[in-house]
Amino acid sequence: MILSRLIQRTSAAIVLACAAGLAAAQDVTVFAAASLTNVFEDIAKAYRAKGGGPVKFSFAASSTLAKQIESGASADIFASADEDWMNYLAERKLIEPATRSSRLGNTLVLIVPASDKKTIDIKPGFDLAGMIGNGKLVTGDPAHVPVGRYAQQALTKLGVWDAVAPKIARTDNVRAALLLVERGEAPFGIVYATDAATSAKVYVAGTFPADSHEPISYPFAILAKRDRPEVKSFFEFLFGPEAQAIYRKAGFTIK
Amino acid sequence: MLTDAELQALWLTFKVSARAVVFALPFAIACAWLLARRRFPGKTLFDGIVHLPLVMPPVVVGYLLLILFGIKGPIGQPLHDWFGIRLVFTAAGASLAIAVTTFPLMVRAIRLSTEAIDVGLEDAARTLGARPLDRFLTITLPLMLPGVLAGAVIAFSAGLGEFGAVITFVSNIPGETQTLPLAIYTATQTPGGEAAAARLALLSIALALAGLLLSEQLARRLKRMLGS
Repeated sequence: MILSRLIQRTSAAIVLACAAGLAAAQDVTVFAAASLTNVFEDIAKAYRAKGGGPVKFSFAASSTLAKQIESGASADIFASADEDWMNYLAERKLIEPATRSSRLGNTLVLIVPASDKKTIDIKPGFDLAGMIGNGKLVTGDPAHVPVGRYAQQALTKLGVWDAVAPKIARTDNVRAALLLVERGEAPFGIVYATDAATSAKVYVAGTFPADSHEPISYPFAILAKRDRPEVKSFFEFLFGPEAQAIYRKAGFTIK
Repeated sequence: MLTDAELQALWLTFKVSARAVVFALPFAIACAWLLARRRFPGKTLFDGIVHLPLVMPPVVVGYLLLILFGIKGPIGQPLHDWFGIRLVFTAAGASLAIAVTTFPLMVRAIRLSTEAIDVGLEDAARTLGARPLDRFLTITLPLMLPGVLAGAVIAFSAGLGEFGAVITFVSNIPGETQTLPLAIYTATQTPGGEAAAARLALLSIALALAGLLLSEQLARRLKRMLGS
């Protein structure tokens, strides 16, 4: 009985996946880092308002998306939250290298629930582990999620990584970490400034010094052999003036 | 063959899943007995609710648990404030997530074996003067055993593989909540993690298969032992 249920589920999943594949043949499909969720949705709205075609998104950790693209996921554009995962695809010849461009930047912040407003001086050797106490600090999994990697670099540079590492609850993307702090389940989180800005339920306790981690950079690229006219059109729109205004409003830095 | 971290994940998975089964089993037996033997208003609805986790996306189960049992949740807050019990981000929370998602599997197996019991045996015990609790403990429960064991084994093996509810409710903390499927997920997402992912995946398939076979075997042997 369990086997037959499994088969049912699997076949349903295959049918759905095929249907999704068909739809993707006409629309522009964008795989984007979770931290780009709000801005990209707004940009797609602006794009449609200007007469552009339909755009579909899949938002997740850059690592998850890069792995899906490597496995043949039907995507047209990839927007990563770090250069490493774009390099990963570039090495495998899965992007159109000429289209690769990094214009967006971000900052890394330490957040607390809004009910627990406080300001923390982030400096070398600050007692973050002590402040976390019995709670947890949530951020993306440092093994692969970009925000977690930046967090690990910053905490290491500040000399507190070893003390904090056992108190980190690893989420599979940055928005999952934001949610846990919003709900007050974790007393601290490390996310991007733009994620913190999307929520009234978290408070930015401190900003990590820019030189404590690699610059946060969002490379965009069209994927290999996907440079159809409608894809190019949306890709250019992602760098256009309307998009720039949306990025700026959300708190991204623009190079 | 396995690294220390992988062994740790494996051991943790066993512990978390076993605890889930042990705690859920009495409730599962009670539910199965109610569903097999009793008629009461709202039984269909009750049946539906018991089976809900089987068809609900595990992520939703995890999210509901987070809302209810989080330290700011309506159940989690008193648990935390009064008893100091914390479920979010802990191995105990992982067990709760697994107990909820595998509960219907237990109930189904136990219910089937309860329905197969000859009610005449219980009637005979009653005419001989056995009280209800006596009858349940000496006649019904032993005859339910094949289902109880099969249900426990199947829930245990399904629990070894629970992903969505666990990662949503207790996130992914190595040594605390990183069970086998979560370790596999992290490995598949990490550059160069393919070999580790393949190793762990094979291990997880072997465990699942062993669980299924064991549960079948147990059910068959017990049935023979009980002579039905």
